[in-house]
Amino acid sequence: MFNRLARVLALLLAAIVVGGSAVAQTEIVYWTHEDPNRTALETELIARFEADYPQYKVVRVTNPTDQMAQLILTAFSANRGPDIFNMDIPNEYPYIVNGRVAPVNPAAAGYIDEQSIYDAYLPGTLDPVTYEGELYGLPLEVTNWSIYLNMNVFRDAGLDPLTDYPRTWEQLMDVAEKLTVRDGEIITRRGFDFRYPYYLNFMPSMAAQLGGKLIGDDGKSAIVGDEAWLRVLQYFKDWGPTGKNLGAPTYKAARSIFNFDNNDIGMMESGQYQAARILNDNPGFLPGEGWMVVPFPQWEDAVADVAEAYYGHYWMVNAQASKEKQQAAWTLLGYFASHADEFFQRVAVLQPTQDLLASDMFKNAPYSSVFMGDLAKAPVIYYDENSPQVLQVLKDSVEAVMLQGKDPADVLKTMREGVERALRGEY
Amino acid sequence: MARKAVKLTVATRRAMWGWVFVLPALIYFAVFSFYPIFNALWLSLHTKNPLSLRPPRFVGLRNYIDLLHSTSFWNSWKATGLFTLGTAIPLVVLSLLLATIIVSRLNFRRFFQLAFYAPAVIPSVVAAAVWLLLLDPRGIANQWVNFVLGLSGVDHKWLANPEMVRFSTTIVYLWEKLGFFTIIFIAGLGGIPQSVREAAHVDGAGGWQLYRYVTLPLLKPTTLLVSVMAMIFCMRTFATQYLFTQAGAPRESINVVTLGIYTTGIRDLQLGLANAMSIVLLVVMLVLSVLQFRLSGREG
Repeated sequence: MFNRLARVLALLLAAIVVGGSAVAQTEIVYWTHEDPNRTALETELIARFEADYPQYKVVRVTNPTDQMAQLILTAFSANRGPDIFNMDIPNEYPYIVNGRVAPVNPAAAGYIDEQSIYDAYLPGTLDPVTYEGELYGLPLEVTNWSIYLNMNVFRDAGLDPLTDYPRTWEQLMDVAEKLTVRDGEIITRRGFDFRYPYYLNFMPSMAAQLGGKLIGDDGKSAIVGDEAWLRVLQYFKDWGPTGKNLGAPTYKAARSIFNFDNNDIGMMESGQYQAARILNDNPGFLPGEGWMVVPFPQWEDAVADVAEAYYGHYWMVNAQASKEKQQAAWTLLGYFASHADEFFQRVAVLQPTQDLLASDMFKNAPYSSVFMGDLAKAPVIYYDENSPQVLQVLKDSVEAVMLQGKDPADVLKTMREGVERALRGEY
Repeated sequence: MARKAVKLTVATRRAMWGWVFVLPALIYFAVFSFYPIFNALWLSLHTKNPLSLRPPRFVGLRNYIDLLHSTSFWNSWKATGLFTLGTAIPLVVLSLLLATIIVSRLNFRRFFQLAFYAPAVIPSVVAAAVWLLLLDPRGIANQWVNFVLGLSGVDHKWLANPEMVRFSTTIVYLWEKLGFFTIIFIAGLGGIPQSVREAAHVDGAGGWQLYRYVTLPLLKPTTLLVSVMAMIFCMRTFATQYLFTQAGAPRESINVVTLGIYTTGIRDLQLGLANAMSIVLLVVMLVLSVLQFRLSGREG
């Protein structure tokens, strides 16, 4: 009787031990922003990854895009950050500087060494995540915006989109005026509108075309080149409701209505990923028939050929995660990165690997050449610890001229003071 | 040795039970109100970047001195002051008026109470999001105002013009909180003894005299409560201003102190400074509340 009982207990114990070891997995938590196409792809990739690596379990959490920065900051300030996250580089950079993210583990990510990672990507695209000689992230996407154009709206206004599309900022304003439809003062169809409030993407480039700079070479002076910046501010003043009334930040975001081809927006700025979203939202709205993409405009008297700044969302790993979790995280991210082709094919986000850029799939994608042409002329977006404050100053400045009708010369002065104050880290 | 039983008086026993019942609330306030306040006060004397793993660095009163020299901080107080004055006073007057009308009605009283209270249960963020749609240039607000004024195609720039955006935040806040304060006034009006009104009526008081010399004086504690609460609520306003600025509205005219606290702490990563702003806001609210109570007591 005693022996039988002992055997049963031993069997139970063994079952617990074996069962326990079978489910002993390293769980990693991944926070990312909403993107239905990417969610579908990454869910599939994670399932395949977990099948290949049964020791790892991935919990993927999506958050609203506009809340990501706040949620991740709150989590990290409480030392409860996710194991993996991504944001745009101006928001991510402070995490690198403050030592909150771990350097890339090349071996876990499937590379021989760090140099082989640099070699795998388009030169320069990993610069924003390189800090004091170490690499801190892998690109989920590197994006530059060009101008999407609704061909139906052009035709409706009696214009030929293939020949009448704007090449310069001056032409953009003229064409936008022709496309704009109003009911009194209320715009019912905008010809073009900017992508508010992402001013760091386009304002410094507009000024750079005229020889201006956001930050001076000394790193302390800002808004260099009065004439260039005055032209930019005057352009926004002319664009807004106190000027020609062609658009404003208070109208619905141009990008969010473009896909539906409702005759309410002629042109807008976006990246190559928009193509996948158009296909998702409105499969009948086709490239080459319904929409096309043209390069970022230049000033007629531009002194430099500069396109809209490119930015990146980089996958990063929490430095406070355990070594096991970091290993698991880089293994997953390396796995993701090895599927850059699928990311491009299904989500149209560009992970700029040399292999992908050389592939026919990329070259034959709608308007890849336009985006790559602009990317070749694009500076990287301004990123530093103070970039959110600098962005705020630009936003306030545009609103001052555009909505309050203030004189660009006065605004230029406060804009410069504001950016220089941000550079000094002052409130 | 046998222990001598301690005999408690009835009053002591009642006091003990009183503490027992109050204790959960005390614990709640200690954890969720008093601790954060003291922590904020402590942090306001330090510099702290929420991303940095370094411990906070003691800087004494430097954050407060920086605030005194900051034009942005004073501008945010101007925005808060204008919003509070422009919203709290109409809030008190309109809710009193509505409560009086509702109480005087024999029919549909419940319906009106429910209808006016409904916005109060909607989260501020949702309310602001709904109002963003209404205030869009092509939204109902422009259409309705143009219809009433017999205009066509006029954009009233509810979100674009700095003065109008201030007015818009006031409208949203009034809509949101009016029902809440109306219900408080209805409760206050219900607490006035009918016998007092009847006595005044017998003495020959007419409708307005009854309201002016009987109802309003007896409603004074409720009016004081509502005015203090309305002032505090208005000074703490955040969600509407935050969402409006996110939607492209110009920040300057609605850059209230709470929005400044948020941007300083979350965007600028200056927790010490943000906490100093919170403490200043707390002190101002406390001082104004005490002043209101004192002035009201003196009048009484």
